[in-house]
Amino acid sequence: MQWILNAIIRYKNLLLYLFCTFLSLYFSSVQSSFHQNQLKQSSLFLAGIIYQPYDQLKSYFDLVDENQRLIKENNSLRTLLLEKFDPLELNNNETRNQTDLNYWSLPAKIIRNSFNKSRNVLLIDKGEKEGVMDEMGVIGPKGIIGIINQTSRNFASVLSILNLDLKINAKFKGSNVFGSLHWVGGGPIEMQLEDISIINPVKVGDTILTGGMSSYFPEGIPIGSVSSFTLPKNGGYYQIKVKLFTNMTDLNDVYVIGNKNREEIKTLLKSKQ
Amino acid sequence: MIPYYTRFSLLALFLILVQVLIFDHINLFGFSNPMVYVLLMIIYRLDLDQFGFIIIAFIIGFMLDLISHTAGANSLACVSIAFARPLVSRFALGTNYDQSNAIFTNTLLSNRLLYYYLMVMIHQLFYTLMAYFTLEHMVTIVLHTVVNSLFSWLIILACISLLKPKK
Repeated sequence: MQWILNAIIRYKNLLLYLFCTFLSLYFSSVQSSFHQNQLKQSSLFLAGIIYQPYDQLKSYFDLVDENQRLIKENNSLRTLLLEKFDPLELNNNETRNQTDLNYWSLPAKIIRNSFNKSRNVLLIDKGEKEGVMDEMGVIGPKGIIGIINQTSRNFASVLSILNLDLKINAKFKGSNVFGSLHWVGGGPIEMQLEDISIINPVKVGDTILTGGMSSYFPEGIPIGSVSSFTLPKNGGYYQIKVKLFTNMTDLNDVYVIGNKNREEIKTLLKSKQ
Repeated sequence: MIPYYTRFSLLALFLILVQVLIFDHINLFGFSNPMVYVLLMIIYRLDLDQFGFIIIAFIIGFMLDLISHTAGANSLACVSIAFARPLVSRFALGTNYDQSNAIFTNTLLSNRLLYYYLMVMIHQLFYTLMAYFTLEHMVTIVLHTVVNSLFSWLIILACISLLKPKK
């Protein structure tokens, strides 16, 4: 017994290091669960408290640019309305009351942006109080941003599309060729589209939209355009690089997309499993 | 005279805030952000107990993980340099490394620069490895480690010249 105690005392630093390493690896490996455990509330609260005043100050200095951007965005949305094209009435809170659409949107503000990590997470200023729930889609004026993965009363964190773990169902505009879009690291500009068979014609500049095969995003939300593609030597599937429409390094106003049939879809999927 | 741990805690709080509010948003070359809080691990007194130092390093890393949503990467990087520090300081600073203020005195400038860089580089390597957690992105990991550690090193040198006790 004594020699065990002696060994513990002698190697206490090493044992402590191994223990701390284990804890760190545990937090990392169960990242999704980690976001659901009891640290969830305090983590979001802490980040919200720290980043909100910073963001408010930053927003104040960006007001002129922001106004210009909103005027342009309003103008383009009005043009769309005039053409009776009604993808999602974005800037409007009342869209939640519309019964003819399966999706509703809620404007939110990014209070913390991250795009230089391997698993980027954003923070928005809307939470459970406003009806934001896990697994809701988040889009920006030019395209998709990510998926809500954690909520507290006043804040929510968003798993950015610039996240090695996230895959998005996507398709080509004007056709029903579906693939899987994911980020492979590197810069915040490009993503990779996979599972597109070589029997389908692809050209640089083709527009990529959301596929609508999940409850996160409605079909047809813009993502980006094909910047380059390669044909594998052994045939099979293209490797397509997609340049994002959204500048992920400069995000401010976003919209949380809620699916009215979400619970129904989830229940159905659960019962099938 | 303010006790050492109180001064260190205040500095830690300040550097964590500066890290998350300023240095995490620099994005040099689109990806590089200096890890200025590693300064805490560098200047922590060399003659104090390593056991306590590893715990302090873990707490600092964990706080950053909570705020930055980097689940585990900062914690692992911090405890790793806390554990490796005696080896690094013996290698870089020589046999008198465990004197209380050996970092600033009794050593050559070149030794001190090497010590700072090794600490920053080891931290960055563990951080990037943990963040990517796959060897598929080895080129990106090496690139991020080299660029970030050099950038952090320069910022930390500037901070140390400000913190250096006056003769």
